[in-house]
Amino acid sequence: MSDDKLRPEDASPSLYDDQGNARFFADPAMDRFVAVVMNLAQEVWVQEERLLALEAEKTGKSADPEAKVKEFIDRVFAPIREA
Amino acid sequence: MTVELQHPMKADATPEEIARGRFTSGIRSLILNDLAADMRAAYDRRAAPAFAKEHGHEPETSREAHQALRGDPAFNIYSAMRVQAQKMVWASVADSVEREADRLSDEAKKASDAPGSLILDPDLDVPKNVHAIDVHLMPGSYTRGADSLEAGAVYDRGLAVFSMGLMGANLDDIGLSMSQYIKQRFPDFAPERILDTGCTIGHNTLPWKQAYPEAEVIAIDAAPGPLAYGSARAKMQGQEVHFQQMCADDLGFEDKSFDVVWSSMFLHELSKKQRAKAFEEAYRVLKPGGLIIHMELPPNEQMGAFDGFYLDWDSYYNNEPYYKGYRDEVPADLCKNAGFAADTFFDFVVPSIGIYGEDAVAEAAKGDRAEGVGQETTGRLAEGVMWYGYGAFKK
Repeated sequence: MSDDKLRPEDASPSLYDDQGNARFFADPAMDRFVAVVMNLAQEVWVQEERLLALEAEKTGKSADPEAKVKEFIDRVFAPIREA
Repeated sequence: MTVELQHPMKADATPEEIARGRFTSGIRSLILNDLAADMRAAYDRRAAPAFAKEHGHEPETSREAHQALRGDPAFNIYSAMRVQAQKMVWASVADSVEREADRLSDEAKKASDAPGSLILDPDLDVPKNVHAIDVHLMPGSYTRGADSLEAGAVYDRGLAVFSMGLMGANLDDIGLSMSQYIKQRFPDFAPERILDTGCTIGHNTLPWKQAYPEAEVIAIDAAPGPLAYGSARAKMQGQEVHFQQMCADDLGFEDKSFDVVWSSMFLHELSKKQRAKAFEEAYRVLKPGGLIIHMELPPNEQMGAFDGFYLDWDSYYNNEPYYKGYRDEVPADLCKNAGFAADTFFDFVVPSIGIYGEDAVAEAAKGDRAEGVGQETTGRLAEGVMWYGYGAFKK
């Protein structure tokens, strides 16, 4: 479905790789690694949320998953803040 | 946070899918609030001064702000993460939509006798910008699954993750805020027939039926699947809306047959030519005294270089090819060129009714109407969002 011909008029081809994906870093591998790190963090969170559910079942005390996911994301991604 | 949809077609998601959605909403919140602030700080501290050194002046336009930021580390990390988070939005709902295809059909059938209607036009030539690119990186775009419920379900469930709770429990905050604003600002205005153009799944159509329950409400879109889903969704919520497959630039309605022509987040998905035609068509079908009213992104002419580019980012990196071209246009001119008298034009900023409450919307309807157009919170899906709108009356 991708059609690299539909772009804003002033979009330079250099903004995209040869398959039409947006690229940002000097080394295009970095763009992909960012996505991998985010996927990995997501999968760790999935396991964390399963653990929280198990613990809640065991202890009868449930944690607020919205507050927990915020803490988790802030902690994991702290090194990229204020780049 | 991911919003839980308010109708029977909401996902029966697995714990893993719920966790993926929660993470995606959370990471979007980090990107759109914290990393956006980091990028702004880097722009002021590093990118804009470097641009000024090279060009002899600070960035003055969205395009120059883009030039200044390309290659900056804060821009790179914000952008790469935002692209991936956008892909994660749609990925986080794809499995449940596929698994539940039969149940969705069954739920839609159960509601089929409720008031409302759906008319599809298999002969309609669906425009290229609706089907030929993955609009906002949504795989298969609006025509995924043809006229099945698939595209609508992906959009509805995806928006529940994407919106981080900022578009309301029924994803209708824009429609609610805007319709209430119009009702408060023009208390004697009593539309009998309302048209929503480019309605997708009708999430921002329903508030108009709620605001004006006696009015006949018709909603059109070029893509059949979201309309079929939107019709079922409206019926399930007891809202009588008539959905028709049709393009906004070629309306199959009589002259002078509507009191309101409305759209939300739609005009930026049209080419310049389609957009001008859509305005002409709106003028044609409006009765004298009728109102054209659009919720959209604020125009570049009313914003600084950085804030303008912050919104234009989507045009380059989120498969929204016409977004910047739209934002470079002037709303007053779009209305005037279609025949609306210049002295009937108005633009305004409405505080999100879900965040700020009904009183704030009522206050905005009384106050300085265009105040805050250039504020950071206007048009940005982030904490404290406010919506930009404009309209004109046909004399």
